Amino acid sequence: MVDLSVNLNGFKLKNPIITASGTYGYADEYDDFINVSELGAIVTKAISIEPKKGNSGERLFETYGGMINRIGLENVGIKEFISKKLPTLKDKNINFIMNLAGSSVEDYIKAAEVAQNAGIKAVEVNVSCPNVKQGCLEFGTNPNSLGHLTSEIRKIYKGFLIIKLTPNVADIESLAKSAESNGADCISAINTLKGLGVKIEITPDKNIKKTFVQGGLSGKCIKPVALSMVKRIKSSVQIPIIGIGGISTVDDVLEFLTVGADAIQIGTENFRHPDVTIKIKNELNNIIESLNLKSLDDLKRKLRNE
Amino acid sequence: MKKSHTGKIKYNKEIAKDTFKLVISSDVKEIEAGQFVSVYCENKTLRRPFSVADFENGEITVLYKLKGEGTNYIKNLKENENIDFLAPLGNKFTKEGFKSALLIGAGIGIAPMLFLKKELNKFGIKNHLISGFKDTKEVVEGSNQVVIGGSVLDEIENVVEKIKPDIIYSCGPSIVLKLVSEFGVKHNIKTQIAMEKVMACGIGVCRGCIIELKNGENASVCKDGPVFFGNEIKW
Repeated sequence: MVDLSVNLNGFKLKNPIITASGTYGYADEYDDFINVSELGAIVTKAISIEPKKGNSGERLFETYGGMINRIGLENVGIKEFISKKLPTLKDKNINFIMNLAGSSVEDYIKAAEVAQNAGIKAVEVNVSCPNVKQGCLEFGTNPNSLGHLTSEIRKIYKGFLIIKLTPNVADIESLAKSAESNGADCISAINTLKGLGVKIEITPDKNIKKTFVQGGLSGKCIKPVALSMVKRIKSSVQIPIIGIGGISTVDDVLEFLTVGADAIQIGTENFRHPDVTIKIKNELNNIIESLNLKSLDDLKRKLRNE
Repeated sequence: MKKSHTGKIKYNKEIAKDTFKLVISSDVKEIEAGQFVSVYCENKTLRRPFSVADFENGEITVLYKLKGEGTNYIKNLKENENIDFLAPLGNKFTKEGFKSALLIGAGIGIAPMLFLKKELNKFGIKNHLISGFKDTKEVVEGSNQVVIGGSVLDEIENVVEKIKPDIIYSCGPSIVLKLVSEFGVKHNIKTQIAMEKVMACGIGVCRGCIIELKNGENASVCKDGPVFFGNEIKW
């Protein structure tokens, strides 16, 4: 029996396979495809203190090896999550991480309070949201604002605190360090890359029809960026790292584990293969067995020549 | 219910200009008109959604128009090859309580109308299907009335006069659906339309295929739809 379990600074997963925020709903939505409780954890859709309607207009744009989305954080709001989705997660014994989004430090503090009071074991903070009180600059692009946000949440929330970093920065190391020194228990990386989809069509009446979709790029095409970011984060912090970005096969998982990830998240690939998570989990198990190793930790050590 | 399936391709051929008929034999137990399947395309990030044009004993028929890389990939799948798809997805047309139905299929929008027509016949609901195509080479068989080149909408009033429908169903380009819905509101006839939108998950979780309803709420085409009452939608 292979031991696939992961202990991330006290937050325990039965395996390192987590689903990424925004790709898996809030709870058991993928039960039509797999037994969701078999996953290491799911990360909920980003939840804000008030419900959000999200963006109007086209929200998706397919690209080579990926897609751009501009959903605009549409979500049911934290109250409905706690009253309607949380009971399902508990009933079905689904390990989960609640993803939080906000547009001011106060929003995050309020959400963190609700999470604390509801006994939520783990929270992932989406810091790619614009701070409306500071010129709409994203919290996650400046080490000082990220540090401030992290420490304010930390004061209130006692559970496992993950900061999800955005790759749209020059110096990911200083952001990771800022999260760590201000009390984060773990870094997850990366969020989507800023992208622009442009489509030009020539209409039958010889006009030009232009479509623009600006949003977050995800999918296979971002994997090399994600690997690079994870490796750089690993070189700058001691806390565990959850690798995210373009993972679609077990080989991708091995690559992320090698450069420093302790667990991984699968996002866009869930849309192509709704059962990809369980498939990768089983394949990971087989690889560990075939190497005559006993655990995921053994595999990590072997991959990293430790 | 398990929704991911591997079926076998039984038939995949061009039946009209750039229009293909794909028949998949599968272990799917139940699909009704309005529902759709989403087909995995190896070279693409997103699956391709197709309305079901017929279903019997696990055999799923879809019609598709060649559009781009996704449909070109599907076109090249051979008979007896495996095909990976999700089904059944989305909601169904409402049939209960209606006595006479007008069906309007514009272009490839005829696909779910053919399936619906078959179901209505089974239910003993009187019906009339008008379909419209750009030219004769594109015509897909199975309608009561075919409009070539012009607009299917030009025919509505005459047919309504004749068959006095208590429901109008439609599928096709968004502009046709909007006009059908407006016609329904104006003449006090219920309309049900099947919408199309770029989708990612196909099961309502990613919120990528949202339309806005008149009551201010968002609805996902993939899960809350693709079938909506025309008067519910904020056009």
